[in-house]
Amino acid sequence: MCKKAEYLVVDDEPDIGWVMKRILGSAGGVVVTLQTGAEVLPMIEKNHFSRVFMDAKLPDIEGLELAREVHKLMPELQVVLVSGYYYKDDPTIQKALSEGLIDDFIAKPFTHSDILKIL
Amino acid sequence: MLTDIQCLTLPDKMQLYSILLDAIPSSILVLDENLRIVSVNRNFLEKSQRLMKDTISRRLEEVFPAVILEHTSIKKQVHDCFEKKRLIRGHRMTYRAPGIPIRTYYYSILPIGADDSVRLVVLLMEDVTEQVRLSEEVRRMERHLASVVESAQDIVLSTDLSGRILTWNSAAEKLSGFKFNDVKGHCWSEFCSQVADIKGFLSHFCTGTDVHTAEWELITKASQMIPVSWVVSPMMDDYRKVVGFVAVGRDLTEQRKLEYQLRQSQKIAALGVMAGGIAHEIRNPLAICSSAAQFLQAESLLTDFARECADKIQVSIEKISSIIENLLRFSRPTTASEMVSVDLVRVVQEALTLIDSHAKVQNICVSSQLPEQAVLVNGVASLLQQVFLNLCLNAVNAMQNGGNLVVKFFLYPNSDCVEVQVKDTGVGINPADFDKIFDPFHTTSPIGKGTGLGLAICYSIIKQHFGSILVESIPSKGSTFTVKLPLQKRE
Repeated sequence: MCKKAEYLVVDDEPDIGWVMKRILGSAGGVVVTLQTGAEVLPMIEKNHFSRVFMDAKLPDIEGLELAREVHKLMPELQVVLVSGYYYKDDPTIQKALSEGLIDDFIAKPFTHSDILKIL
Repeated sequence: MLTDIQCLTLPDKMQLYSILLDAIPSSILVLDENLRIVSVNRNFLEKSQRLMKDTISRRLEEVFPAVILEHTSIKKQVHDCFEKKRLIRGHRMTYRAPGIPIRTYYYSILPIGADDSVRLVVLLMEDVTEQVRLSEEVRRMERHLASVVESAQDIVLSTDLSGRILTWNSAAEKLSGFKFNDVKGHCWSEFCSQVADIKGFLSHFCTGTDVHTAEWELITKASQMIPVSWVVSPMMDDYRKVVGFVAVGRDLTEQRKLEYQLRQSQKIAALGVMAGGIAHEIRNPLAICSSAAQFLQAESLLTDFARECADKIQVSIEKISSIIENLLRFSRPTTASEMVSVDLVRVVQEALTLIDSHAKVQNICVSSQLPEQAVLVNGVASLLQQVFLNLCLNAVNAMQNGGNLVVKFFLYPNSDCVEVQVKDTGVGINPADFDKIFDPFHTTSPIGKGTGLGLAICYSIIKQHFGSILVESIPSKGSTFTVKLPLQKRE
């Protein structure tokens, strides 16, 4: 039995994946990184992730749209939007949070403690 | 028969006069002093639908309806004619015989007599119904035309050949504050700010038949300047000779306000697109820098990882810096002094070499028709290469499933410009995006794939080189970008 939490990071910038791997790894998590939205649904079906960290602007889909699809497939899976495009009290983000479309929002650039706090 | 009139007998003469009288297309009545009818012509009998025997020897009031006699006082005028022995001319009378429509006549009363006595008078009635109808029609048309001009919300004025105002409608009065009497006979140019323009135009167009449009400010009575769009047309007489001008002017104040508001909202929208673009493009590398720095702050860091962090910081900062530089390039043109003689063929060749491997991977066939000799333009080689590299990369990106990229040079005889065409068979540009393709940070590539600065920078660079970029595109068929640049002048 693997007790480690598993995290999925979706960001088209590979170095964000590199960063997240380090941060989440330091908290004892196992991290899978993806760069496109299309790979996400098949990936979450096959694995047991505790959280998905995703960018708001992906090459093939908007992050919020992807969050909606993730919710449909896995209603229990927590989705965290990590984005430089939106800001914390952006009306779009506030709406997505209040609707439960996303569970958290972290603006880029972030501090490592911002990420670790929500785990 | 008329040539032998001297030889005619009296009965023949009477018959001749009777024929002549009947041939006259006016109604003729001959009256004696008792206002009895002595003679009448056929025209009168026809118009009044009477018979000769019921008319001759009858009194005037038996032949004419009482209403007419009372209204026109013909009887009194006939008496006057006998008394004063003078012609009474030009009175109007309307008459309606039973069964025929109302007619209008002009009648005159002529004294006839020998020596000093008047024995008979002739009542001559000309049917002017048609003339009256026509003149009423003309007056009605004139009133209609005048009301069209007066009802117009646009200024409508006319001038003579020297530009002196002949007419000035209500809209002109309202807009300028000057009444027609204030401007009548004055030169139209006195009421516009571009006096010289108007005078020049009038002297130039005196003989022409062209319509001229221009924007000249109207100076109001309160010394305000109102922007007005004018359409000036030559006014011609029946012989097609220019006799003056008609100017129609529209107040542009409201339009200018709307244009200003539109520009403001476009600026705000463009700022929004830019802010989004900058946010996404810059905050990613910033996030990487920030994280790497945070890793570096940890004490128990392995040397290899520390180096990795430092490298990430370095690369990310370079990315941010390049975006900022591109923005600066977009907003601040290169000075002409930095421009040198550049061979455009070489620039394009280098750009093609750079995209070659990328194109091959995507199964794109690249072909080019480049001149064998150098094509010299005045410019900055690295910037021009950036333009063609961007255009070729865009073309390649538009053909994800392969296609053809054709680059062609066009050199026209006697032209001081060169055209370079970059043509692809890709997805094309959505008509809705057409107006925005040169806006900074406007991109249809997924965010993260393109910064949306490429075409904006191309546009800016080509403008700096005094050239232009033309785009033609058919969705799902492909796009053609044509760069036009001035050739270097031969010494």
